[in-house]
Amino acid sequence: MIERWLEEIGVTSNRAKAKAYGAISLSSLLLLWILATSVLEWIEPRVLPSPAQVLRQFFWILTEPFSGLRLPGHVWVSLERWGWGVFFAMIIGIPIGVFFAWAPWFKTFANPVFELLHFIPPFAYIPLAVLWFGASTATQAMVVFVAAFPSFVINSQLGVSQVEKIHVDAARVFGAGQFATLRRVVIPAAAPSIYTGLRIAISNGWMALVGAELVVGKVGLGFMISQGQENASVATIFVGVITIGCLGVTIDTIIQRSESRILPWRKNVMVNQG
Amino acid sequence: MTGQTPANTAPPKLELRKITKWFGSEGAGVCAVDDCSLEVQKGEFVCVVGPSGCGKSTLMTIGAGLEAPTEGGVFVDSRPAGPPGPTRSVVFQKFALFPSETVEQNIKFGLQMTGVSAREQESRLSEQLRIMGLEGFRKAYPNELSGGMQQRVAIARALVMRPEILLMDEPFGALDAQTRTILQEEVQRLHREKHYTVLFITHSVEEAVYLGDRVVVMTKRPGQIKKVIHLPRDVVWKTGDIERAAEHPEFIEFRREIWGLVREEIVGA
Repeated sequence: MIERWLEEIGVTSNRAKAKAYGAISLSSLLLLWILATSVLEWIEPRVLPSPAQVLRQFFWILTEPFSGLRLPGHVWVSLERWGWGVFFAMIIGIPIGVFFAWAPWFKTFANPVFELLHFIPPFAYIPLAVLWFGASTATQAMVVFVAAFPSFVINSQLGVSQVEKIHVDAARVFGAGQFATLRRVVIPAAAPSIYTGLRIAISNGWMALVGAELVVGKVGLGFMISQGQENASVATIFVGVITIGCLGVTIDTIIQRSESRILPWRKNVMVNQG
Repeated sequence: MTGQTPANTAPPKLELRKITKWFGSEGAGVCAVDDCSLEVQKGEFVCVVGPSGCGKSTLMTIGAGLEAPTEGGVFVDSRPAGPPGPTRSVVFQKFALFPSETVEQNIKFGLQMTGVSAREQESRLSEQLRIMGLEGFRKAYPNELSGGMQQRVAIARALVMRPEILLMDEPFGALDAQTRTILQEEVQRLHREKHYTVLFITHSVEEAVYLGDRVVVMTKRPGQIKKVIHLPRDVVWKTGDIERAAEHPEFIEFRREIWGLVREEIVGA
């Protein structure tokens, strides 16, 4: 039914349709929210605030400091912690993953340690991080690091181990040493998988960050939410939660879009698939 | 042996001496190649045919230095050949182009690895692009090309090295019939003009008769050399296209003989 209606108003390409469906589903949710709160008043404001209240609170925090900072300030602090954590996880995790697959002896040696660490939840590191770094950016960044690190290692390793032997053989035939083979053949071939690892790392890191901020810190989006709870301001919590969600989606979209730019040879593959 | 070519006393360009290859442990694993000796003289085009799984590709991999034989050795100009390198270029069955690199980068790869100057790289690249008819595809990625075009790139990548020996492992096996025919003719022409030294693995008897100066027939696994057939070199039917050649009585006679030998191996399996 919606499909027909979309075609009638001129939305025909699959891509435009996907966008239209997205818009429809989000606005339905918004509509339901407005109905349930402002119009029909099914739900009390102290349980679920109306969109208007949340919007008012949003502009309030945007202009007036809340717990020391305006909203952009909280966002920036969170992004900074998250960015450092993901960055270090990336520059340490990718080489380790590549090395795992490229030098099997190293994997046999290091894997037990990795497996053990892998099963410790990121939040279990919070007390340690607090003792080590106190109230600095590094505290939450460390939790982000722990959450993001395994997916870099696992996906880089997977990518490298799936590189076709014939390509490595070809590189050898044409005179490439180990390093040149890695740089020109193996890592580019593993790049799509590494990219998947990046996307997983980014979302895992983002979730761990908010969790860590709920527990420790005096600024940041997670802290803002916990302050909303302290002040019994459900609207503040909603502003925080929605901001977190939107930022997450935005970052993921940017990363996804950048793939065809950074890996230009994948463009055709991706067009063919979608 | 029909003795149509004079006995060559010069040391062979490429020699595989008493090659035996076991996969897995010796005696318990699989014996792919059993005591095979094979020589390719300078400027000679040698084709290896045999039933599938007879170890002919293994022979090529060993010849290229990509795999070590369990027993025996590989020699270039009577010296141990050592690890793979630019004197022996390979054209692989599945092209094995680097998917993340453009046609240009793929062809230049070996030149860059062996420290050829940038100017020399550029001039050799454009020469190969012209010879293989790839001029319009410099900046294309392999996945934007048809199978035939990809294999042209792979051949260009091998030839640009000016190799002393060219190893081709069923290079046309993955192509459609029309494309295969055209590339067979081009390889024939290139060989006639430039006198490359080629070891060519194929399962197609026609291809072997059309391209080869000598055809080596292998037995089923474990692969041994069953028979070596010398083919005439400077005959008119080899200079034309393959369809025409296939109608020539001499071609038909050789094909029948070689096919008979291969068939014995397949049927006797």
